[in-house]
Amino acid sequence: MHTFLDMSWKTILEYSRYPVAFIAMFAQIFLIVFMFIFATMAFRAPGEGLSNQSTFAGVMIYGTVTNLLLSFTLWDVGFSIREEQVRGTLESLYLSPARKFANLVSRVFVVLLWTGVMCVFAVLVVAAVVGGLPFDNALLATVVLGFSISGFLGIGFIFAGLTIKLKESAQLLVNGVQFFFMIFSAQFFPFAALRSISPAIVDYVSAWLPVSYCVDAFRSLLVGLPAGYPELAPLSVEIPIVVVFGIVSPIVGYLIYKRAERSARRQGNLGEY
Amino acid sequence: MEGHSHGFGLASPSWRANLDVVVTVLIARLKVISRYKGSLVMEMFLPVVFAAMPILLGVAVGGANAGQYFQANTGTSNFKLYMLIGACTFSVVSIMLWLVGYWIRREQETGTLESIYLAPARQVYVLTGVTIYSLLRALLAFLVSLVIGSIVFGVNLLEGNVLGAIGILMLGLLPLWGLSMLFGAFIMRVKEANSVINVMTWVVSFLMGVFFPIAMFPPLLQWVAAIFPPTIMNDAMRASMLNLSTFFGSWYISLAVMFAAALTVPLVGYGVFTFTGRSVRRKEGVGQY
Repeated sequence: MHTFLDMSWKTILEYSRYPVAFIAMFAQIFLIVFMFIFATMAFRAPGEGLSNQSTFAGVMIYGTVTNLLLSFTLWDVGFSIREEQVRGTLESLYLSPARKFANLVSRVFVVLLWTGVMCVFAVLVVAAVVGGLPFDNALLATVVLGFSISGFLGIGFIFAGLTIKLKESAQLLVNGVQFFFMIFSAQFFPFAALRSISPAIVDYVSAWLPVSYCVDAFRSLLVGLPAGYPELAPLSVEIPIVVVFGIVSPIVGYLIYKRAERSARRQGNLGEY
Repeated sequence: MEGHSHGFGLASPSWRANLDVVVTVLIARLKVISRYKGSLVMEMFLPVVFAAMPILLGVAVGGANAGQYFQANTGTSNFKLYMLIGACTFSVVSIMLWLVGYWIRREQETGTLESIYLAPARQVYVLTGVTIYSLLRALLAFLVSLVIGSIVFGVNLLEGNVLGAIGILMLGLLPLWGLSMLFGAFIMRVKEANSVINVMTWVVSFLMGVFFPIAMFPPLLQWVAAIFPPTIMNDAMRASMLNLSTFFGSWYISLAVMFAAALTVPLVGYGVFTFTGRSVRRKEGVGQY
Protein backbone atom coordinates (compact mmCIF):
# COMPACT_ATOMS: atom_id res chain seq x y z
CA MET A 1 0.00 0.00 0.00
CA HIS A 2 2.85 2.37 0.86
CA THR A 3 4.48 1.64 -2.47
CA PHE A 4 1.23 2.31 -4.29
CA LEU A 5 0.65 5.61 -2.45
CA ASP A 6 4.24 6.77 -2.79
CA MET A 7 4.41 5.99 -6.48
CA SER A 8 1.00 7.54 -7.11
CA TRP A 9 2.19 10.68 -5.37
CA LYS A 10 5.37 10.61 -7.45
CA THR A 11 3.24 10.38 -10.61
CA ILE A 12 1.07 13.29 -9.46
CA LEU A 13 4.20 15.37 -8.76
CA GLU A 14 5.63 14.47 -12.14
CA TYR A 15 2.47 15.53 -13.95
CA SER A 16 2.19 18.71 -11.93
CA ARG A 17 5.57 19.80 -13.33
CA TYR A 18 4.07 19.73 -16.80
CA PRO A 19 0.80 21.70 -16.58
CA VAL A 20 0.82 21.99 -20.37
CA ALA A 21 0.19 18.24 -20.48
CA PHE A 22 -3.03 18.61 -18.46
CA ILE A 23 -4.34 21.44 -20.58
CA ALA A 24 -3.33 19.57 -23.72
CA MET A 25 -5.31 16.47 -22.71
CA PHE A 26 -8.45 18.52 -22.12
CA ALA A 27 -8.06 20.31 -25.42
CA GLN A 28 -7.47 16.99 -27.16
CA ILE A 29 -10.75 15.52 -25.93
CA PHE A 30 -12.63 18.65 -26.90
CA LEU A 31 -11.20 18.53 -30.41
CA ILE A 32 -11.81 14.81 -30.90
CA VAL A 33 -15.44 15.25 -29.90
CA PHE A 34 -15.95 18.18 -32.25
CA MET A 35 -14.21 16.46 -35.12
CA PHE A 36 -16.59 13.55 -34.89
CA ILE A 37 -19.56 15.87 -34.50
CA PHE A 38 -18.66 17.79 -37.66
CA ALA A 39 -17.90 14.56 -39.51
CA THR A 40 -21.33 13.26 -38.51
CA MET A 41 -23.03 16.45 -39.65
CA ALA A 42 -21.52 16.03 -43.11
CA PHE A 43 -23.63 12.89 -43.48
CA ARG A 44 -26.88 14.47 -42.33
CA ALA A 45 -29.42 15.99 -44.68
CA PRO A 46 -28.68 19.72 -45.11
CA GLY A 47 -30.35 21.78 -42.43
CA GLU A 48 -30.73 18.82 -40.11
CA GLY A 49 -28.54 19.26 -37.07
CA LEU A 50 -27.81 16.64 -34.49
CA SER A 51 -30.91 17.17 -32.44
CA ASN A 52 -33.13 14.06 -32.26
CA GLN A 53 -29.92 12.06 -32.59
CA SER A 54 -29.39 11.59 -28.89
CA THR A 55 -29.26 7.79 -29.09
CA PHE A 56 -26.69 7.82 -31.88
CA ALA A 57 -24.71 10.55 -30.15
CA GLY A 58 -24.84 8.51 -26.96
CA VAL A 59 -23.54 5.42 -28.78
CA MET A 60 -20.69 7.49 -30.19
CA ILE A 61 -19.64 9.32 -27.04
CA TYR A 62 -20.05 6.42 -24.62
CA GLY A 63 -17.97 4.32 -26.96
CA THR A 64 -15.42 7.14 -27.01
CA VAL A 65 -15.25 6.93 -23.21
CA THR A 66 -14.16 3.29 -23.44
CA ASN A 67 -11.65 4.25 -26.13
CA LEU A 68 -10.13 6.94 -23.93
CA LEU A 69 -9.85 4.60 -20.97
CA LEU A 70 -8.31 1.84 -23.07
CA SER A 71 -5.88 4.20 -24.80
CA PHE A 72 -4.65 5.82 -21.63
CA THR A 73 -4.29 2.43 -19.96
CA LEU A 74 -2.26 1.08 -22.87
CA TRP A 75 0.04 4.09 -22.94
CA ASP A 76 0.32 4.92 -19.26
CA VAL A 77 0.67 1.37 -18.01
CA GLY A 78 2.01 -0.37 -21.07
CA PHE A 79 4.40 2.08 -22.56
CA SER A 80 5.32 4.05 -19.43
CA ILE A 81 7.89 1.35 -18.71
CA ARG A 82 9.69 2.69 -21.78
CA GLU A 83 10.11 6.08 -20.12
CA GLU A 84 11.90 4.40 -17.23
CA GLN A 85 14.13 2.55 -19.70
CA VAL A 86 15.02 5.75 -21.56
CA ARG A 87 15.80 7.59 -18.34
CA GLY A 88 17.84 4.64 -17.09
CA THR A 89 15.89 4.24 -13.87
CA LEU A 90 14.12 0.97 -14.60
CA GLU A 91 16.88 -1.23 -13.28
CA SER A 92 17.18 0.76 -10.03
CA LEU A 93 13.43 0.66 -9.61
CA TYR A 94 13.36 -3.11 -10.00
CA LEU A 95 16.26 -3.63 -7.67
CA SER A 96 14.42 -1.77 -4.95
CA PRO A 97 12.25 -3.83 -2.55
CA ALA A 98 9.06 -2.14 -3.81
CA ARG A 99 6.29 -4.39 -5.08
CA LYS A 100 6.18 -4.45 -8.88
CA PHE A 101 2.39 -4.70 -8.97
CA ALA A 102 1.98 -1.49 -6.99
CA ASN A 103 4.57 0.13 -9.21
CA LEU A 104 2.52 -0.71 -12.32
CA VAL A 105 -0.89 0.11 -10.93
CA SER A 106 0.20 3.43 -9.41
CA ARG A 107 1.08 4.62 -12.91
CA VAL A 108 -2.50 4.38 -13.98
CA PHE A 109 -4.26 5.55 -10.83
CA VAL A 110 -3.69 9.25 -11.42
CA VAL A 111 -4.28 9.00 -15.16
CA LEU A 112 -7.56 7.10 -14.69
CA LEU A 113 -8.74 9.79 -12.34
CA TRP A 114 -7.89 12.50 -14.82
CA THR A 115 -9.27 10.52 -17.75
CA GLY A 116 -12.52 10.08 -15.83
CA VAL A 117 -12.80 13.86 -15.49
CA MET A 118 -12.13 14.28 -19.20
CA CYS A 119 -14.75 11.67 -20.09
CA VAL A 120 -17.35 13.51 -18.05
CA PHE A 121 -16.34 16.72 -19.81
CA ALA A 122 -16.63 15.08 -23.25
CA VAL A 123 -20.08 13.67 -22.44
CA LEU A 124 -21.27 17.09 -21.26
CA VAL A 125 -20.01 18.77 -24.45
CA VAL A 126 -21.83 16.29 -26.69
CA ALA A 127 -24.96 16.55 -24.54
CA ALA A 128 -24.88 20.32 -25.00
CA VAL A 129 -24.54 20.00 -28.78
CA VAL A 130 -27.31 17.44 -29.34
CA GLY A 131 -29.62 18.77 -26.65
CA GLY A 132 -29.28 16.01 -24.10
CA LEU A 133 -28.02 12.43 -23.94
CA PRO A 134 -29.70 9.33 -22.57
CA PHE A 135 -28.27 8.26 -19.21
CA ASP A 136 -30.06 5.11 -18.11
CA ASN A 137 -28.98 2.12 -16.04
CA ALA A 138 -26.15 4.20 -14.62
CA LEU A 139 -25.34 1.85 -11.74
CA LEU A 140 -25.10 -1.28 -13.87
CA ALA A 141 -23.16 0.66 -16.52
CA THR A 142 -20.71 1.77 -13.81
CA VAL A 143 -20.21 -1.84 -12.74
CA VAL A 144 -19.61 -2.82 -16.37
CA LEU A 145 -17.17 0.06 -16.73
CA GLY A 146 -15.34 -0.98 -13.59
CA PHE A 147 -14.81 -4.51 -14.86
CA SER A 148 -13.88 -3.14 -18.28
CA ILE A 149 -11.18 -0.93 -16.79
CA SER A 150 -9.88 -3.91 -14.85
CA GLY A 151 -9.74 -5.87 -18.09
CA PHE A 152 -7.98 -3.01 -19.87
CA LEU A 153 -5.42 -2.98 -17.05
CA GLY A 154 -4.61 -6.58 -17.87
CA ILE A 155 -3.95 -5.62 -21.48
CA GLY A 156 -1.79 -2.78 -20.19
CA PHE A 157 0.24 -5.22 -18.07
CA ILE A 158 0.82 -7.39 -21.13
CA PHE A 159 2.14 -4.41 -23.01
CA ALA A 160 4.33 -3.41 -20.11
CA GLY A 161 5.96 -6.84 -20.40
CA LEU A 162 6.26 -6.51 -24.16
CA THR A 163 7.82 -3.08 -23.76
CA ILE A 164 10.58 -4.55 -21.59
CA LYS A 165 11.35 -6.98 -24.39
CA LEU A 166 10.71 -4.93 -27.52
CA LYS A 167 11.78 -1.52 -26.20
CA GLU A 168 11.12 1.20 -28.82
CA SER A 169 9.31 -1.20 -31.13
CA ALA A 170 6.62 -1.63 -28.48
CA GLN A 171 5.35 1.83 -29.37
CA LEU A 172 4.42 0.54 -32.78
CA LEU A 173 2.59 -2.39 -31.24
CA VAL A 174 0.67 -0.20 -28.82
CA ASN A 175 -0.35 2.09 -31.69
CA GLY A 176 -1.45 -0.86 -33.77
CA VAL A 177 -3.49 -2.41 -30.97
CA GLN A 178 -5.09 0.90 -30.14
CA PHE A 179 -6.28 1.38 -33.71
CA PHE A 180 -7.25 -2.26 -34.04
CA PHE A 181 -9.66 -1.92 -31.12
CA MET A 182 -10.90 1.43 -32.41
CA ILE A 183 -12.10 -0.19 -35.60
CA PHE A 184 -12.99 -3.76 -34.66
CA SER A 185 -14.46 -3.00 -31.27
CA ALA A 186 -16.46 -0.22 -32.97
CA GLN A 187 -15.67 2.31 -30.30
CA PHE A 188 -16.86 5.35 -32.30
CA PHE A 189 -19.75 3.89 -34.25
CA PRO A 190 -22.34 1.12 -33.95
CA PHE A 191 -21.40 -2.42 -34.89
CA ALA A 192 -24.12 -2.12 -37.55
CA ALA A 193 -21.70 0.03 -39.57
CA LEU A 194 -19.15 -2.79 -39.59
CA ARG A 195 -21.89 -5.25 -40.43
CA SER A 196 -22.92 -3.17 -43.42
CA ILE A 197 -19.38 -3.54 -44.80
CA SER A 198 -19.33 -7.26 -44.11
CA PRO A 199 -21.13 -9.30 -41.43
CA ALA A 200 -18.04 -11.51 -41.27
CA ILE A 201 -16.06 -8.65 -39.70
CA VAL A 202 -18.40 -8.58 -36.73
CA ASP A 203 -18.99 -12.34 -36.51
CA TYR A 204 -15.38 -13.45 -36.90
CA VAL A 205 -13.36 -10.56 -35.49
CA SER A 206 -15.38 -8.20 -33.28
CA ALA A 207 -17.33 -10.96 -31.57
CA TRP A 208 -14.09 -12.61 -30.42
CA LEU A 209 -12.76 -9.50 -28.69
CA PRO A 210 -13.73 -9.06 -25.02
CA VAL A 211 -13.24 -5.31 -25.48
CA SER A 212 -16.13 -5.33 -27.99
CA TYR A 213 -18.49 -6.62 -25.29
CA CYS A 214 -17.24 -4.02 -22.83
CA VAL A 215 -18.01 -1.27 -25.35
CA ASP A 216 -21.34 -2.74 -26.43
CA ALA A 217 -22.66 -3.47 -22.94
CA PHE A 218 -21.56 -0.13 -21.47
CA ARG A 219 -23.07 2.10 -24.13
CA SER A 220 -26.19 -0.01 -24.66
CA LEU A 221 -26.98 0.27 -20.96
CA LEU A 222 -26.46 4.01 -20.89
CA VAL A 223 -28.56 4.72 -24.00
CA GLY A 224 -31.41 2.79 -22.40
CA LEU A 225 -31.28 -0.49 -24.35
CA PRO A 226 -33.26 0.64 -27.40
CA ALA A 227 -34.24 -1.85 -30.09
CA GLY A 228 -31.17 -3.50 -31.57
CA TYR A 229 -28.98 -2.85 -28.53
CA PRO A 230 -26.84 -4.51 -27.37
CA GLU A 231 -25.72 -5.43 -30.84
CA LEU A 232 -23.43 -8.43 -30.32
CA ALA A 233 -25.27 -10.61 -27.84
CA PRO A 234 -27.98 -10.34 -25.20
CA LEU A 235 -27.03 -8.50 -22.02
CA SER A 236 -27.27 -11.76 -20.07
CA VAL A 237 -24.35 -13.01 -22.18
CA GLU A 238 -22.36 -9.79 -22.48
CA ILE A 239 -22.20 -8.93 -18.78
CA PRO A 240 -20.71 -12.29 -17.73
CA ILE A 241 -18.14 -11.94 -20.52
CA VAL A 242 -17.18 -8.50 -19.22
CA VAL A 243 -16.99 -9.75 -15.62
CA VAL A 244 -14.80 -12.71 -16.56
CA PHE A 245 -12.62 -10.41 -18.67
CA GLY A 246 -12.29 -8.00 -15.76
CA ILE A 247 -11.18 -10.76 -13.40
CA VAL A 248 -9.02 -12.92 -15.63
CA SER A 249 -7.30 -10.26 -17.72
CA PRO A 250 -5.32 -8.52 -14.96
CA ILE A 251 -4.18 -11.87 -13.55
CA VAL A 252 -3.04 -13.19 -16.92
CA GLY A 253 -1.59 -9.82 -17.87
CA TYR A 254 0.42 -9.56 -14.67
CA LEU A 255 1.74 -13.10 -15.04
CA ILE A 256 2.91 -12.32 -18.57
CA TYR A 257 4.50 -9.11 -17.34
CA LYS A 258 6.30 -10.91 -14.51
CA ARG A 259 7.60 -13.51 -16.92
CA ALA A 260 8.96 -10.84 -19.27
CA GLU A 261 10.55 -8.98 -16.40
CA ARG A 262 12.15 -12.15 -14.95
CA SER A 263 13.51 -13.05 -18.36
CA ALA A 264 15.01 -9.60 -18.83
CA ARG A 265 16.61 -9.72 -15.38
CA ARG A 266 18.09 -13.16 -16.08
CA GLN A 267 19.50 -11.97 -19.38
CA GLY A 268 20.78 -8.80 -17.72
CA ASN A 269 19.14 -6.42 -20.20
CA LEU A 270 16.49 -4.88 -17.98
CA GLY A 271 18.28 -1.57 -18.03
CA GLU A 272 19.07 -1.71 -21.73
CA TYR A 273 17.89 1.31 -23.63
CA MET B 1 36.71 21.37 -44.42
CA GLU B 2 36.92 23.74 -47.43
CA GLY B 3 36.42 27.35 -46.50
CA HIS B 4 37.42 30.91 -47.16
CA SER B 5 38.70 33.72 -45.01
CA HIS B 6 36.04 36.06 -43.74
CA GLY B 7 37.13 39.05 -41.63
CA PHE B 8 39.61 38.61 -38.79
CA GLY B 9 40.78 35.38 -40.44
CA LEU B 10 37.60 33.49 -39.49
CA ALA B 11 36.75 30.73 -41.96
CA SER B 12 33.27 30.12 -43.25
CA PRO B 13 32.21 26.70 -44.49
CA SER B 14 31.78 26.46 -48.23
CA TRP B 15 28.58 25.33 -49.92
CA ARG B 16 30.02 21.81 -50.25
CA ALA B 17 30.63 21.62 -46.52
CA ASN B 18 27.12 22.86 -45.81
CA LEU B 19 25.67 20.33 -48.23
CA ASP B 20 27.75 17.70 -46.47
CA VAL B 21 26.05 18.64 -43.19
CA VAL B 22 22.62 18.24 -44.77
CA VAL B 23 23.48 14.89 -46.33
CA THR B 24 25.13 13.57 -43.17
CA VAL B 25 22.12 14.43 -41.02
CA LEU B 26 19.80 12.91 -43.61
CA ILE B 27 21.78 9.68 -43.81
CA ALA B 28 21.96 9.46 -40.01
CA ARG B 29 18.17 9.80 -39.70
CA LEU B 30 17.61 7.25 -42.48
CA LYS B 31 19.95 4.78 -40.80
CA VAL B 32 18.08 5.14 -37.51
CA ILE B 33 14.66 4.61 -39.07
CA SER B 34 15.94 1.63 -41.05
CA ARG B 35 16.21 -0.14 -37.67
CA TYR B 36 12.51 0.43 -37.08
CA LYS B 37 10.87 -0.76 -40.28
CA GLY B 38 7.65 -1.37 -38.39
CA SER B 39 7.22 2.37 -37.83
CA LEU B 40 7.38 2.97 -41.57
CA VAL B 41 4.80 0.27 -42.21
CA MET B 42 2.53 1.69 -39.53
CA GLU B 43 2.75 5.14 -41.10
CA MET B 44 1.47 3.70 -44.36
CA PHE B 45 -1.54 2.04 -42.76
CA LEU B 46 -2.49 4.72 -40.25
CA PRO B 47 -4.13 7.06 -42.79
CA VAL B 48 -6.29 4.17 -44.00
CA VAL B 49 -7.38 3.46 -40.42
CA PHE B 50 -7.86 7.16 -39.83
CA ALA B 51 -10.09 7.44 -42.92
CA ALA B 52 -12.04 4.29 -42.03
CA MET B 53 -13.43 5.82 -38.85
CA PRO B 54 -15.44 8.69 -40.37
CA ILE B 55 -16.43 6.47 -43.29
CA LEU B 56 -17.93 3.93 -40.90
CA LEU B 57 -19.43 6.73 -38.83
CA GLY B 58 -20.96 8.22 -41.96
CA VAL B 59 -22.41 4.90 -43.07
CA ALA B 60 -23.94 4.53 -39.60
CA VAL B 61 -25.42 8.05 -39.68
CA GLY B 62 -26.52 8.34 -43.30
CA GLY B 63 -27.32 4.72 -44.02
CA ALA B 64 -28.26 4.14 -47.66
CA ASN B 65 -28.40 7.92 -48.23
CA ALA B 66 -24.88 8.56 -46.94
CA GLY B 67 -23.51 9.47 -50.38
CA GLN B 68 -26.48 11.65 -51.24
CA TYR B 69 -26.35 13.65 -47.99
CA PHE B 70 -22.59 13.94 -48.24
CA GLN B 71 -22.92 15.36 -51.74
CA ALA B 72 -25.40 17.96 -50.54
CA ASN B 73 -22.92 19.09 -47.86
CA THR B 74 -19.63 18.84 -49.74
CA GLY B 75 -20.32 18.68 -53.47
CA THR B 76 -19.28 15.06 -53.93
CA SER B 77 -20.88 11.73 -53.14
CA ASN B 78 -17.49 10.00 -53.13
CA PHE B 79 -17.07 10.29 -49.37
CA LYS B 80 -14.58 7.44 -49.24
CA LEU B 81 -12.07 9.18 -51.51
CA TYR B 82 -12.81 12.48 -49.77
CA MET B 83 -11.88 11.02 -46.38
CA LEU B 84 -8.91 9.13 -47.81
CA ILE B 85 -7.39 12.24 -49.38
CA GLY B 86 -7.94 14.16 -46.14
CA ALA B 87 -6.36 11.42 -44.04
CA CYS B 88 -3.36 10.99 -46.37
CA THR B 89 -2.75 14.73 -46.57
CA PHE B 90 -3.03 14.93 -42.83
CA SER B 91 -0.43 12.18 -42.48
CA VAL B 92 2.01 14.29 -44.53
CA VAL B 93 1.34 17.30 -42.33
CA SER B 94 1.63 15.44 -39.05
CA ILE B 95 4.82 13.62 -40.09
CA MET B 96 6.45 16.90 -41.11
CA LEU B 97 5.43 18.62 -37.87
CA TRP B 98 5.97 15.64 -35.56
CA LEU B 99 9.37 14.53 -36.77
CA VAL B 100 11.12 17.88 -36.36
CA GLY B 101 9.62 18.54 -32.95
CA TYR B 102 10.23 14.99 -31.82
CA TRP B 103 13.79 15.09 -33.10
CA ILE B 104 14.49 18.12 -30.94
CA ARG B 105 12.89 16.46 -27.93
CA ARG B 106 14.83 13.23 -28.44
CA GLU B 107 18.10 15.15 -28.75
CA GLN B 108 17.23 16.96 -25.51
CA GLU B 109 16.45 13.67 -23.73
CA THR B 110 19.63 11.95 -24.92
CA GLY B 111 21.68 15.05 -24.08
CA THR B 112 23.04 15.60 -27.58
CA LEU B 113 21.22 18.80 -28.54
CA GLU B 114 23.85 20.94 -26.87
CA SER B 115 26.62 19.13 -28.77
CA ILE B 116 24.80 19.75 -32.03
CA TYR B 117 24.60 23.44 -31.20
CA LEU B 118 28.31 23.50 -30.36
CA ALA B 119 29.28 21.83 -33.62
CA PRO B 120 30.68 24.14 -36.33
CA ALA B 121 27.64 23.67 -38.54
CA ARG B 122 24.88 26.19 -38.99
CA GLN B 123 21.56 25.11 -37.55
CA VAL B 124 19.72 25.80 -40.79
CA TYR B 125 21.63 22.98 -42.51
CA VAL B 126 21.08 20.53 -39.66
CA LEU B 127 17.39 21.41 -39.75
CA THR B 128 17.31 21.07 -43.52
CA GLY B 129 18.68 17.55 -43.22
CA VAL B 130 16.00 16.66 -40.68
CA THR B 131 13.20 18.21 -42.71
CA ILE B 132 14.30 16.52 -45.95
CA TYR B 133 14.22 13.25 -44.02
CA SER B 134 10.72 14.11 -42.76
CA LEU B 135 9.69 15.00 -46.28
CA LEU B 136 10.88 11.68 -47.69
CA ARG B 137 9.03 9.75 -45.00
CA ALA B 138 5.91 11.84 -45.47
CA LEU B 139 5.84 11.41 -49.25
CA LEU B 140 6.41 7.68 -49.01
CA ALA B 141 3.62 7.31 -46.45
CA PHE B 142 1.31 9.51 -48.54
CA LEU B 143 1.74 7.61 -51.79
CA VAL B 144 1.63 4.13 -50.33
CA SER B 145 -1.34 4.82 -48.03
CA LEU B 146 -3.23 6.41 -50.93
CA VAL B 147 -2.76 3.25 -52.97
CA ILE B 148 -3.60 0.92 -50.05
CA GLY B 149 -6.65 3.03 -49.19
CA SER B 150 -7.90 3.00 -52.76
CA ILE B 151 -7.77 -0.81 -52.73
CA VAL B 152 -9.36 -1.17 -49.29
CA PHE B 153 -12.17 1.31 -49.94
CA GLY B 154 -12.56 0.48 -53.64
CA VAL B 155 -12.05 4.01 -54.97
CA ASN B 156 -10.47 5.06 -58.25
CA LEU B 157 -7.62 7.49 -57.66
CA LEU B 158 -7.28 8.30 -61.35
CA GLU B 159 -10.78 9.78 -61.65
CA GLY B 160 -9.54 13.29 -60.87
CA ASN B 161 -6.47 15.37 -61.60
CA VAL B 162 -3.81 13.39 -59.73
CA LEU B 163 -0.86 15.32 -61.19
CA GLY B 164 -2.44 18.58 -60.13
CA ALA B 165 -2.91 17.22 -56.63
CA ILE B 166 0.74 16.16 -56.44
CA GLY B 167 1.80 19.62 -57.63
CA ILE B 168 -0.29 21.21 -54.90
CA LEU B 169 1.25 18.85 -52.35
CA MET B 170 4.77 19.86 -53.41
CA LEU B 171 3.88 23.54 -53.17
CA GLY B 172 2.30 22.98 -49.77
CA LEU B 173 5.49 21.40 -48.39
CA LEU B 174 7.29 24.75 -48.15
CA PRO B 175 4.91 26.28 -45.61
CA LEU B 176 4.96 22.93 -43.81
CA TRP B 177 8.72 23.26 -43.47
CA GLY B 178 8.20 26.66 -41.87
CA LEU B 179 5.49 25.34 -39.56
CA SER B 180 7.71 22.43 -38.53
CA MET B 181 10.40 24.89 -37.43
CA LEU B 182 7.83 26.95 -35.52
CA PHE B 183 6.77 23.76 -33.85
CA GLY B 184 10.37 22.83 -33.16
CA ALA B 185 10.95 26.20 -31.50
CA PHE B 186 7.93 25.62 -29.32
CA ILE B 187 9.17 22.19 -28.28
CA MET B 188 12.59 23.60 -27.47
CA ARG B 189 10.96 26.09 -25.16
CA VAL B 190 8.25 23.87 -23.62
CA LYS B 191 10.40 20.71 -23.52
CA GLU B 192 7.74 18.11 -22.67
CA ALA B 193 6.72 17.31 -26.23
CA ASN B 194 4.37 14.35 -26.21
CA SER B 195 1.28 16.07 -24.89
CA VAL B 196 1.84 19.06 -27.14
CA ILE B 197 2.30 16.84 -30.18
CA ASN B 198 -0.87 14.94 -29.30
CA VAL B 199 -3.02 18.01 -28.99
CA MET B 200 -1.44 19.77 -31.96
CA THR B 201 -2.18 16.69 -34.05
CA TRP B 202 -5.86 17.11 -33.33
CA VAL B 203 -5.78 20.92 -33.67
CA VAL B 204 -4.21 20.57 -37.09
CA SER B 205 -6.61 17.85 -38.23
CA PHE B 206 -9.54 19.91 -36.96
CA LEU B 207 -8.46 23.10 -38.70
CA MET B 208 -7.60 21.21 -41.89
CA GLY B 209 -11.12 19.83 -42.13
CA VAL B 210 -9.73 16.33 -42.63
CA PHE B 211 -13.17 14.73 -42.33
CA PHE B 212 -15.44 17.57 -43.39
CA PRO B 213 -15.40 20.81 -45.39
CA ILE B 214 -14.35 23.85 -43.39
CA ALA B 215 -17.42 25.60 -44.77
CA MET B 216 -19.28 23.82 -41.95
CA PHE B 217 -17.41 25.89 -39.36
CA PRO B 218 -18.82 29.10 -37.91
CA PRO B 219 -17.74 32.07 -40.10
CA LEU B 220 -14.85 33.29 -37.91
CA LEU B 221 -13.43 29.80 -37.52
CA GLN B 222 -13.74 29.29 -41.29
CA TRP B 223 -11.37 32.15 -41.94
CA VAL B 224 -8.97 31.09 -39.21
CA ALA B 225 -8.85 27.65 -40.82
CA ALA B 226 -8.60 29.11 -44.32
CA ILE B 227 -5.37 30.98 -43.61
CA PHE B 228 -3.77 27.86 -42.17
CA PRO B 229 -1.55 26.55 -45.00
CA PRO B 230 -2.27 22.81 -44.56
CA THR B 231 -6.01 23.58 -44.81
CA ILE B 232 -5.58 25.28 -48.16
CA MET B 233 -3.40 22.41 -49.33
CA ASN B 234 -5.96 19.80 -48.28
CA ASP B 235 -8.83 21.77 -49.79
CA ALA B 236 -7.00 22.27 -53.10
CA MET B 237 -5.96 18.62 -53.31
CA ARG B 238 -9.52 17.45 -52.76
CA ALA B 239 -10.80 19.99 -55.27
CA SER B 240 -8.28 18.70 -57.80
CA MET B 241 -9.02 15.00 -57.33
CA LEU B 242 -12.77 15.25 -56.85
CA ASN B 243 -13.54 18.13 -59.26
CA LEU B 244 -14.80 20.36 -56.47
CA SER B 245 -14.58 24.11 -56.12
CA THR B 246 -12.06 25.40 -53.63
CA PHE B 247 -12.96 27.15 -50.41
CA PHE B 248 -12.02 30.54 -51.91
CA GLY B 249 -14.21 29.84 -54.95
CA SER B 250 -11.37 30.41 -57.40
CA TRP B 251 -8.23 28.42 -58.15
CA TYR B 252 -6.29 31.66 -58.66
CA ILE B 253 -7.00 32.85 -55.14
CA SER B 254 -6.19 29.45 -53.63
CA LEU B 255 -2.88 29.25 -55.49
CA ALA B 256 -2.07 32.87 -54.63
CA VAL B 257 -2.62 32.17 -50.95
CA MET B 258 -0.49 29.02 -51.20
CA PHE B 259 2.34 30.89 -52.90
CA ALA B 260 2.19 33.64 -50.31
CA ALA B 261 2.38 31.02 -47.55
CA ALA B 262 5.26 29.25 -49.32
CA LEU B 263 7.23 32.50 -49.34
CA THR B 264 6.49 33.81 -45.85
CA VAL B 265 6.00 30.86 -43.53
CA PRO B 266 9.47 29.28 -43.98
CA LEU B 267 11.13 32.62 -43.27
CA VAL B 268 9.01 33.25 -40.20
CA GLY B 269 9.53 29.69 -39.00
CA TYR B 270 13.29 29.81 -39.34
CA GLY B 271 13.43 33.23 -37.72
CA VAL B 272 11.45 32.08 -34.72
CA PHE B 273 13.51 28.90 -34.44
CA THR B 274 16.86 30.68 -34.40
CA PHE B 275 15.57 33.34 -32.01
CA THR B 276 14.25 30.68 -29.65
CA GLY B 277 17.49 28.69 -29.86
CA ARG B 278 19.51 31.80 -29.03
CA SER B 279 17.19 32.71 -26.17
CA VAL B 280 17.26 29.19 -24.69
CA ARG B 281 21.07 29.08 -24.94
CA ARG B 282 21.34 32.41 -23.13
CA LYS B 283 19.07 31.34 -20.28
CA GLU B 284 18.97 27.71 -19.21
CA GLY B 285 20.95 26.29 -22.12
CA VAL B 286 19.72 23.84 -24.73
CA GLY B 287 21.05 20.94 -22.72
CA GLN B 288 18.36 21.22 -20.08
CA TYR B 289 16.02 18.25 -20.27
